[in-house]
Amino acid sequence: MEINFLQAYKKMILIRIAEQEIADHYLQNKIMSFVHFYVGQEAVAVGVCDALGKEDKVMGNHRSHGHYLAKGGDLNKMVSELLGKENGLARGKGGSMHMIDKSVNFIGTTPILGSVVPLSCGSAFEQKYNKKDGITVAFFGDGAFEEGIVYETLNLANLFKLPLMLVVENNLFAVNSKLSDRRSPEYDIEKIVSGFGVSYVKADGNDYEDVFNKTKKIIETVRTGKPAVLECIAYRHMAHSAPIFDEGYREEDILEKRQEKDPIKKVKQSLLDSGIKEEELVIIEEDTKKIVLDSIKFAVDSNYPPKESLYTDLYAS
Amino acid sequence: MPPRIIKYTEAIKEATDQIMEIDPSVFVIGLGVAYKNGADGTTSGLKLKYENRVFDVPVSEASFTGMSVGAAINGLKPIVHHGRVEFAYFAADQIFTQAAKWNYMFGGDNGVPIVLRIAVGRQWGNGPQHTQSPYALFGGAMGLKVVIPSTPKMAKGLLISAVKDKNPVIFLESRWLYNTKQEVPAEVYEESLDKAKVFKEGKDITVVAYGDGFIASLEALDFLNNDVSVELIDLVSINPIDYETIFNSVKKTGRLMCVDTTHEAFNIGSEIISKVVQNSSIDLKERPTSISCPNVPCPTSTALTEFYYPTKVDIANLILKQFNKPKIDKKLSFEELHLAPGLTIL
Repeated sequence: MEINFLQAYKKMILIRIAEQEIADHYLQNKIMSFVHFYVGQEAVAVGVCDALGKEDKVMGNHRSHGHYLAKGGDLNKMVSELLGKENGLARGKGGSMHMIDKSVNFIGTTPILGSVVPLSCGSAFEQKYNKKDGITVAFFGDGAFEEGIVYETLNLANLFKLPLMLVVENNLFAVNSKLSDRRSPEYDIEKIVSGFGVSYVKADGNDYEDVFNKTKKIIETVRTGKPAVLECIAYRHMAHSAPIFDEGYREEDILEKRQEKDPIKKVKQSLLDSGIKEEELVIIEEDTKKIVLDSIKFAVDSNYPPKESLYTDLYAS
Repeated sequence: MPPRIIKYTEAIKEATDQIMEIDPSVFVIGLGVAYKNGADGTTSGLKLKYENRVFDVPVSEASFTGMSVGAAINGLKPIVHHGRVEFAYFAADQIFTQAAKWNYMFGGDNGVPIVLRIAVGRQWGNGPQHTQSPYALFGGAMGLKVVIPSTPKMAKGLLISAVKDKNPVIFLESRWLYNTKQEVPAEVYEESLDKAKVFKEGKDITVVAYGDGFIASLEALDFLNNDVSVELIDLVSINPIDYETIFNSVKKTGRLMCVDTTHEAFNIGSEIISKVVQNSSIDLKERPTSISCPNVPCPTSTALTEFYYPTKVDIANLILKQFNKPKIDKKLSFEELHLAPGLTIL
């Protein structure tokens, strides 16, 4: 897989515009599903997923709209799920925090911090058990990395030599709690991860190229059964939850810094440098906006699940 | 040919072995399951036979349980063993919030075919942190199926059904029953995960019991001679509870007694009695009664545990009381009170 900035730009702008438009609808109170927006972190999801193959499986957390779309997800089904519609990814029962679409090997997300780590480890366990080629990737944040189960799973994954890659999106905050309120100055993620025998790589989460290249390289060893952690430092442009732009708690990631380091701006610059005209990118942006608005209209026009649906699916049959 | 009598633990091992032979997607995982005499003998020899499908693990219950849930989501069929329920609590998120909700929260087509074998309940000398029986905790968790095998025959059939099921099944084993014996079919067979069993038919009173309380109730019948005709129901499942079988029995007998071997507060008997008295089509001849443990943790000293669990004599006397018959006055031996029963169930 070679780097393709144009394709990356299209995916990143899709996530960005989708999140912004969904946020607008949220503000109009049309979305009654707890939302956590991904704006600002697009380079991580797209950089990682572009380096994966179709057979590779992906799981996520509460902030997974971007992860799902980056893995090739269907925007109509996603927005329908957010609006609680019957044709949503989880037939309206999950909502924003429960993205799933096995047709693109996006096998589920859970908002309980850290929970996705052993679950994704189990997916990698199955791949090894059945001698499959694929690996499993889980996206979660720096807050979740503080859950005990993560450390347990680092040991387990390396003990069993599983093809697992954990992507830690470090956006500096757990809700609004900053790193220095959560970790001692001596806390060293690289030492922790390496201490379990798991590979550790750090990438600039604002830089698509860096994330893509480092993922591409590290997954070669992950495929041989050596688990890895990829830590990406990124900025969360919106608040923890809901489309609020609360600046009060921020330190490093103030507005000017976020604008300067905006991952989409960077990919755009690479494209311009390679000779692509600004107008072409504007057309892509306009087309994308149209796609997103169509998806929202599709979801708004879709049916809610019938009352009986409340009682179904407790058990698989 | 003489009857084929085997122990409860042997029945579990046999079911595991047979289902592993049939289905290569089944694996066994848990602390000590790879030992020669693993998991109280319930996994003996399996590691030798299935080298790459029996996994000892780090002492990280949350993580290895979660990994097994993840494997099940992807189509494998793990049998996870927790030797004491208190250790399974470490994995509460993975059991209650992940496995139990997965199919529902994704709108179906996302079954989690995992079996969690969890040992619960009484055992001499084990005290407050090794003997909990949190039946209501599991029974009240939507999305789980919860069975309590009361006999070796049920243990084998239920385990095979549990592994074949597409959903998370909590298999609560009363450690107290591990030495009980029974004639158990050698072939593979299934027992229904959501049906109570009328173990013995009767006409005067319905006694509903499960696990070690079932065995105590069965033994209590010996004291009643022919004075009272008891219909003894093995509850089998507490999630869901098979009310149809219970209602039909109480309609016939008009009397109900429930036996729990956990705290009186929030126990299974209270739940059943509540549903029975609310059912207007049942004519009760007497108020239903129940017997259970006091609302304190189980202590360690035998001087105290003697009064903690309902005995077969306590159960017999509560039945007799409903018929205004005199109490029996029988003093149980130390062994009967404090050591796990080794009886052969007919």
